[in-house]
Amino acid sequence: MAPSVKPISSPVPSEWYPSIALFMLCNGLVVTASFFIYEATSSRKNRSLTKELFTSAVASFFLGFGSLFLLLASGVYV
Amino acid sequence: MARMRFDLTLLLLFAFGSFLFFSAVSADLVISKLDRRIDLSSHIVRATTSLKVENNGAEAISEFLLPFPEHQAKNLALLTVIIVEGKGKSKVSSESLPVRIVNPKDSPPSLVWYSITLPKELGKGGSLNLEIKVALSNILRPFPEKITQADVQLIVFQDSAQVLSPYAVHMQSLTVKLPEPKVESYTKLENTKFSGSEIKYGPYENQPPFTYTPLAVHYVSNKPFVVARELVREIEISHWGNVQVTESYSLVHAGAVILGEFSRLEYQAQPHLRGASAFRHLIAKLPARAHSIYYRDDIGNISTSNVWGDSSMTLLQIEPRFPMFGGWKTTFTIGYGLPLKDFLFKSGGERFLNIPFGSPIDDLVIDNLTVKIVLPEGSKITSVSVPFSVKQSKQEKISHLDVVGRPVVVLEKTNVVPEHSQYFQVYYKFSNLSLLQEPLMLVFGYFLLFVACIAYVRADFTISKSSPSYLAKLQWDEVRSTIQQFEGVVNQCLIVHDKLQASLRDLSRTGDLQACKAARKTADSTLKELLKDLKPLISFLQSSPQAAQILPKVEELVAKEKELQEKIMQKHSIVVESYDKKSGIKDTENRVTALEQKIVLLRQEVDDLVDTIDEI
Repeated sequence: MAPSVKPISSPVPSEWYPSIALFMLCNGLVVTASFFIYEATSSRKNRSLTKELFTSAVASFFLGFGSLFLLLASGVYV
Repeated sequence: MARMRFDLTLLLLFAFGSFLFFSAVSADLVISKLDRRIDLSSHIVRATTSLKVENNGAEAISEFLLPFPEHQAKNLALLTVIIVEGKGKSKVSSESLPVRIVNPKDSPPSLVWYSITLPKELGKGGSLNLEIKVALSNILRPFPEKITQADVQLIVFQDSAQVLSPYAVHMQSLTVKLPEPKVESYTKLENTKFSGSEIKYGPYENQPPFTYTPLAVHYVSNKPFVVARELVREIEISHWGNVQVTESYSLVHAGAVILGEFSRLEYQAQPHLRGASAFRHLIAKLPARAHSIYYRDDIGNISTSNVWGDSSMTLLQIEPRFPMFGGWKTTFTIGYGLPLKDFLFKSGGERFLNIPFGSPIDDLVIDNLTVKIVLPEGSKITSVSVPFSVKQSKQEKISHLDVVGRPVVVLEKTNVVPEHSQYFQVYYKFSNLSLLQEPLMLVFGYFLLFVACIAYVRADFTISKSSPSYLAKLQWDEVRSTIQQFEGVVNQCLIVHDKLQASLRDLSRTGDLQACKAARKTADSTLKELLKDLKPLISFLQSSPQAAQILPKVEELVAKEKELQEKIMQKHSIVVESYDKKSGIKDTENRVTALEQKIVLLRQEVDDLVDTIDEI
């Protein structure tokens, strides 16, 4: 009669937080490095905006999620 | 003390006067048996009354009246009434009956009336067993009010031997339980007995309504008189897996005030003789699986604390920075985190938080309790359900990664005792997608950083666009881009060479001559195209003055690459021919080895040249 009551927990198991943070941040930093290498070595004529934007989008995605999970793993439950 | 006497005599007068008014109303109900038990073992007075009510009148009664003198009603923290049926093992208790304050018009002043609504009307001749639990805070008076460090604390408790009731009581008795088996003095009425740590008054038979015989008990109590003048509990929920509770206490020792000086030496030498009235430790019962517990105040962390945990609760024992004597105050903050799945549930379309209301510290009276529940951003609060009356309001709080602010439910209550530590619920709606808002905000922030980098690299901030150094830089940029394109072309040529070599190896493995020839054809056409691409680049380099250094190297590279190409083509044709003619392997080997060596050398030189051009 009464609706069922289920406990809620976080969408990602909290034991994985440090591992996910490390994985995401490493990937993010690697892609950031490749972005900056591209910026430094390409000349004004040869730069392609799409490649830059794509690289920066992927890098910011990994860095964003990585820093969120880093905050969660260190106890700042945002 | 004199004021108390005056109050009591006034009460007696009014009680006698109101007897006439109320006799008509309450002639119907009669209390046949009443047992009162007053527990004085802590600084909260807990009185349990079990009584049997009989309806001797003609009408059915649906209400039971309970008066309290005003000084007691002011400090009444909790009043619960339940109906008990059966005896001993088959005892069945009902739920707490609704209680409200009423104001009968003929009531004498300085009496507060509580009316208990019975679930079923008590018919004519029926009887009912009620159990009334009352908790009174701040009603015990230390006497003497000021003591020295070496004295024990003596407390006075004043009440009536007969229960104050508008109904006649056929038989009643009172038991007062003391914390220790000794007493300084107590009012000796008829039928009074003191044994062990209990004083028994009664049984008194056939008392008319509103009988009131004042009694006073003067006894030793060294239990800690902990009163929190102000407690703010903040419960913050994060859907990523944590409920963080932060409690700020402002405690005071509400017993006998200490007179004279405090000698730390004497206290530490003989704590039981010189400091019996003080308390050092406080025990808090936190829920099970509490983690990240901290105990600090304005100065910093307080390290005198211990935690013991098991599967049913976590016990936290804290010791303030100094022992608490009468009248001394201390403030501190306790915080702990709790796992989300023990307290947050989903039912229907809503989520609700189920968490205890009061403070976890044992035997604490709170004068002003404020409980703030901070829900994550994007939640919509629907309702709050608390088992007793509280004052509700709403606030906003801005916390980590917040844009709009988090909704806060604020519940306030005065005069809270540990019996109020019951679970209460806050219902709200929250969609799981709103959980993504935080990481997306971070992703967007990082993306803005990258866009700023891109914009900076592309922007041209030179002031004068016609200065010679600026023009020289522009030209050098163009040369560099041309060289990069040239390198790209050369790399593609090298890839084609590699493909040809691979096709030869495939030939030796599979013997498929047609595939080999086809590869040769495609290689030829690709190389022709690449050569065409190369021409405008080289002409540009020849025309620009900045490229004077690089030009010889570039031309050398082109020449070497051409040589390499020729040699590879030669080798390829020889091998294909020999396959066609089906001549011996040794034969082909001889012809090819010399070429092979030259090819390897040339390839090495080409790679070196590419590297040097790269470095410039």
